[in-house]
This record gives sequence, structure tokens and C-alpha cells, in this order.
Amino acid sequence: MNQTMLRQWLTQIGLVIRLEMRKTFLSRRGLWVYLLALAPVLIFLAHSVSELNSRKERRALNDAHPVSTAALRSIDRGMTIEEVAGKVGEPFAKNEFHRPRISVDIYQYTDGENIYTFQFRNNQLVDINERDRDTIAKDSVIFAGVFQFFYLRLAIFFGCVGVFTNLFRGEMLDKSLHFYLLTPIRREILTVGKYLAGLIATVAIFCTSTLLQLVALSLHFTGSEISEYLAGPGWGHVAWYLGVTAAACLGYGSIFLACGLLFKNPIIPAATVLVWEGANMFLPAALKKVSVIFYLQSLSPVVAPPDANLPRFQRLLITSAEPTPAAWAVLGLLTLTILVLAVAARKARTLEINYSTD
Amino acid sequence: MNDRLVNDRVVLDNVSRFYGEVLGVNRVTLSVPPGITSLVGPNGSGKTTLMNLMTGLVRPTRGEIRVLGISPADPERMFRVCGYATQFDSFPRGMTGFQFIYSYLRLFGKPHDECQRTTAFAIGRVNLGDAAHRKIAGYSKGMRQRIKLAQAIAHDPRVLVLDEPLNGLDPLVRAETIALFREFAAEGRHVIVSSHILHEVDTISDQVILLSNGYVVAEGKIHGVREEMREHPMQVIIRCTRANVLASRVFEQDHVVEVRLHADGGGLLVKTRDADRFYRALNHLALDGVGIESVAPADDNVNSLYEYLIGGEESTR
Repeated sequence: MNQTMLRQWLTQIGLVIRLEMRKTFLSRRGLWVYLLALAPVLIFLAHSVSELNSRKERRALNDAHPVSTAALRSIDRGMTIEEVAGKVGEPFAKNEFHRPRISVDIYQYTDGENIYTFQFRNNQLVDINERDRDTIAKDSVIFAGVFQFFYLRLAIFFGCVGVFTNLFRGEMLDKSLHFYLLTPIRREILTVGKYLAGLIATVAIFCTSTLLQLVALSLHFTGSEISEYLAGPGWGHVAWYLGVTAAACLGYGSIFLACGLLFKNPIIPAATVLVWEGANMFLPAALKKVSVIFYLQSLSPVVAPPDANLPRFQRLLITSAEPTPAAWAVLGLLTLTILVLAVAARKARTLEINYSTD
Repeated sequence: MNDRLVNDRVVLDNVSRFYGEVLGVNRVTLSVPPGITSLVGPNGSGKTTLMNLMTGLVRPTRGEIRVLGISPADPERMFRVCGYATQFDSFPRGMTGFQFIYSYLRLFGKPHDECQRTTAFAIGRVNLGDAAHRKIAGYSKGMRQRIKLAQAIAHDPRVLVLDEPLNGLDPLVRAETIALFREFAAEGRHVIVSSHILHEVDTISDQVILLSNGYVVAEGKIHGVREEMREHPMQVIIRCTRANVLASRVFEQDHVVEVRLHADGGGLLVKTRDADRFYRALNHLALDGVGIESVAPADDNVNSLYEYLIGGEESTR
């Protein structure tokens, strides 16, 4: 391979990327990918708006029924309603339930941040419930759950199905792939060019979405809370989440590009991959490693707890495998990507134009 | 065949292509010289398959193909010398005619300025200058045919393969397009066209390849192919005075198998197994007061070849 040839290949890859970007980025057909990517942003935005409203409401209630945090924290179990009211005044909400021999009174207070619920049984405080306002630590676990169980497994997965399978299969359906094959370009170079175009598009779309999700989630925190978080693990989390998003596009992209080349109906292999990736948590440790999601979860900065609503039987089936160290996870993903791309390029080399049967 | 000849021809050596159980083409051996070559045959005879094989869009099941000595499996070299306008009437979405040709040319590695210039030149050659910056989606059938032709010729190839290039063109544009083919052929290039329109094939072709059911049934110059068909005597129409006298003299020739007088008595149709001998003999036969007004072959054309070789498989236009 001489330098002229290498330069020509790089130029051709650049040109294929430019042509494909126009089709992938600005097409009406790709609109659903944007919607899929933006769905979690809307969820987190709604969460932040709701949190901001709740906080405003709590402050208004505290203004109407002023009480300090210290006073509320000084309340202990066993106190009577009169003792509590003497210390913290009248609650903003009061509920009473009376049954034979039992009377239940529920008093709610707020210091403007948290809500304290005191439950009295027969005039004696039996339960104190402190509903904390959201903290960054709490929200980062929620984010990790949404990121790993919705964003990686569904949004990026299906986004990559849409973008990468269409790079070849879409053009076969449009009957326009032959125009590429009538140019003096090696099919392997075409495959790499198309893959990189899809990768740039998906990384741009999904990384932007990841960033917007983090911004949307942080909207209801104060500037000082955010500064404190960023000074701690914050920037690291942002970088890792962006990296994992890009890695997901890299791994899933190569698989679905190959699916588009190898199968007339790539939806069937895509569904198979979806089932395999979805069942990953139930697979034995050795099989877990034969998937993209395992490496992506290993790279994720915050561990997402399993779904609390999962039936007990299914929880028993969950197996754990030691997360792979970051360097190995990256290496594993890169190896998988290169192998799958090599298979795709080999198929492209012998690709035929026979639109009537495609 | 020596290397120089192979490097100047489109060569197919015992090429077969099957689509599963279905035959595309079978045992095709051809050596196409420069000039205009027409592939003629009914639908499903293998014309498009043959063109796709020549350009590497499909691979042969068996046999070998070389286009000016280059294998179609090597697109990097192949498409520097070859241009192909397919029959597919579809284009990349959202592009104008200019953008389409320009981006195609850029993949050849040519610089921006040269691509701009070459694109404008190619579009001008097919008379689409006014519509160059309009979206292809809004083009008429004829304009789409022409932009495909512009794409095929834009990089100035030595071999031009065109699948039904005259379809959908109006008579004026058709004439201009044929003139363009002739111009290419006159420069010593290959122009390989497929067509159903036999009288046009007759007019434009230097040689024809007749296909039927995936087999090549005849190839060569139209006249040469016709002469080879001994089982179908050549037909010659003669308009003359004293046609009955000429008819009796003509019939004495041993190679003449049939003579028919025209209903108006002003001419005759002669069927002969040896046209050359007949033409030579006609000079002597036409003495003694027989005035010959015209002599013309009646079935020395693609239409007749098509009829004789392929028969009534498909009506011709």
C-alpha cells in the first residue's frame, strides 16, 4: 500500500461520509431517531419542572406555617399531639381516621425543603416519615437506571438499528446503491465510509441527548449544589456517560451495519440481538461477556440497582459477573467492532445488485 | 487471443450466471471490439444480466470477464475506464442533477474545481444545462434518462455500457443521443447498448449481439450474421420494367429458391441462398431491355434477424 493509495482511500472515506451525512442527518426518515434520543431529555425535564414546583409549593407552605428544621428534627416518637403542636405549631395538612378503639392522626409539616409526616395512634407519635427533597446523589442513581435500562438498551439500540441497517439495506430498497458501486471505490472503503458516517451521526445525536439529559436533570438543583457535584465526581460522570454513549453507538453500529448487509430483513437479527442483550442479566458470567451491554455497564460510572418491581422469581435468576476493568471493556468493544466490520466488509466485497429480490 | 487485443476489447469467456435455479445467461463467450454494439433480445433474454456482469454489479457463477483487460471485480481500476447507465430509474434522495454528477465525480478523487467543470460539461453534453440545479425528483422520464447518461460519460470512459438508453426520449433528443454515441464510437471507444427498438439498433450499431433465453444466438455485423443464416434465404426486392422476363431469368439461377412478382407487375421479390452471387449475376440478367429502378435487401436488418433467430417470442416494435 503506497502513500498515494492511502491518501486516495482517506479522501474517498471523507467523501462517502459527507454524502451519507446529508442523508442521515437531515432526512425526514430519520426524525424518529431524534425523537427516540430526546425522549429521556423530556422525562428528566418534566422531573425537574415538577421538583421546582414542589419546592415552590413547600416554601409557600412554610411561609404560611413557619417552622425550622431544627424544631422538626427535635420531635421524637412517643410524644403527644399537644407536645408536638407546642414545639412546631399547627401543621399545613391534618388528617384524622377514627375507628372503634383506634384513632389515627396524620400531621404534615415542611421546613421549605423536606416534608415531615407524623403519624399518631391514640394521641401518641408512632411514626416519623421525612420525605427528603431530591439530592444529586439520589438523582444520579435514577439517571443511572434510566441510562442503562432505557437509554442504552432501547433508545440507542433502536436508533442504531434505524441508522446503520439503512446504510446499505435502505439504499437497496431505494434502488440507489448501485451509484456507489459504479465508482472506482473499493467496497471495503465504502463500508468503512458508511460506518463512520453512521457513527458520527449517532454519536452526535445520542451524545447531545446524554448531555441534555444531564442538564435537564440538574435544572432543579441550586448553583452551589451543582458546583459542589462538579467539583467532586461530576465532570468524571459526564465524561464517562458521554464515552459510554459513544461506545454503544460504536458497538451496536457495527452489528447493525453487518445485519443490513448480511440479511434481507435485518429486523429479525436485530430482534435476536435485542433479546440477547435484554437477557444479559440472567446469563451465566461467561456468556454475559459475549454482549455489548455487559461492557457498556462495566464502563458506566454509577451502578444502577435492578428494577425494584421485578418479580421475586426473576430476581433469583439474576446473576452477577465482576465488571470488566475499563481498559478491557474498551478493548473488548473495539475488538468486537473490528471483527464485525471485517465480516461486513467481506460481504460488501461480493455484494451484488439485484434489487428485484432485495 | 493476444494481450493487445484483450486489452482493447470487452471479453467474456464461457460466462454463466444463475439466480438459484433460474438461468440469467449461459456459456456466453464474446469479444466485443470498439464501436457501437447493440444487445438485442426479448425481455428476460439476459441483456441486463450481461451488462451487470460486465460492470461487476453481479458476479458470474462460472467463467471470466475482462473489460479492456481489467476484471470487473476490481472496481478501483474498472470504473476509471468504464461508465454504466443502468435501467434503474432511481436516484439518491434530495439531489439536484448537478449535485448528483458532482458527488459521483468527487469519488473518483478529482479536485473540486475539476469536478465542477467536468460536471457542467457532462450535463451540457446531454442538453440538461437549464435543469442542472433542479431536484432530480422533479425531472421527467426523458430528463432522468439523460442525467443517467451524463453520469455514465462524466469521467470520460473508454467503455460506455448503456441499458435501454433511448427509452423515454423524444425524437429530437433521441437523435442527439444517437449522435453522441456515434461521436464516442468514432473516437475508438466501446459503446454497448441494449435496446428493444430494432430499427434504431439497425441504424446505430456497428455490430449486434442477439440474445434469447440467456444464450447468445448470434453476434457480429448485421450483414455478416444475416449471411450466415443459410436456412433463411436472403430476400431482395427489385423494382423494374418487364418484371416477368427478369423473373424467368432469375429463376434459372441455382441459388435462387423463390421468385414472386409484385401485384402491380412493376417488380419482384427474390429469395436466394447466396446474395453475393445473385448481385453479381443481376448485372448480366438485367440486359435486353429490362430497366432496373432499384434493388434493395428486404431482410438484411436486425428486425429480420430477430424474427428468424428468436422467432415470435416477443413482438418487435
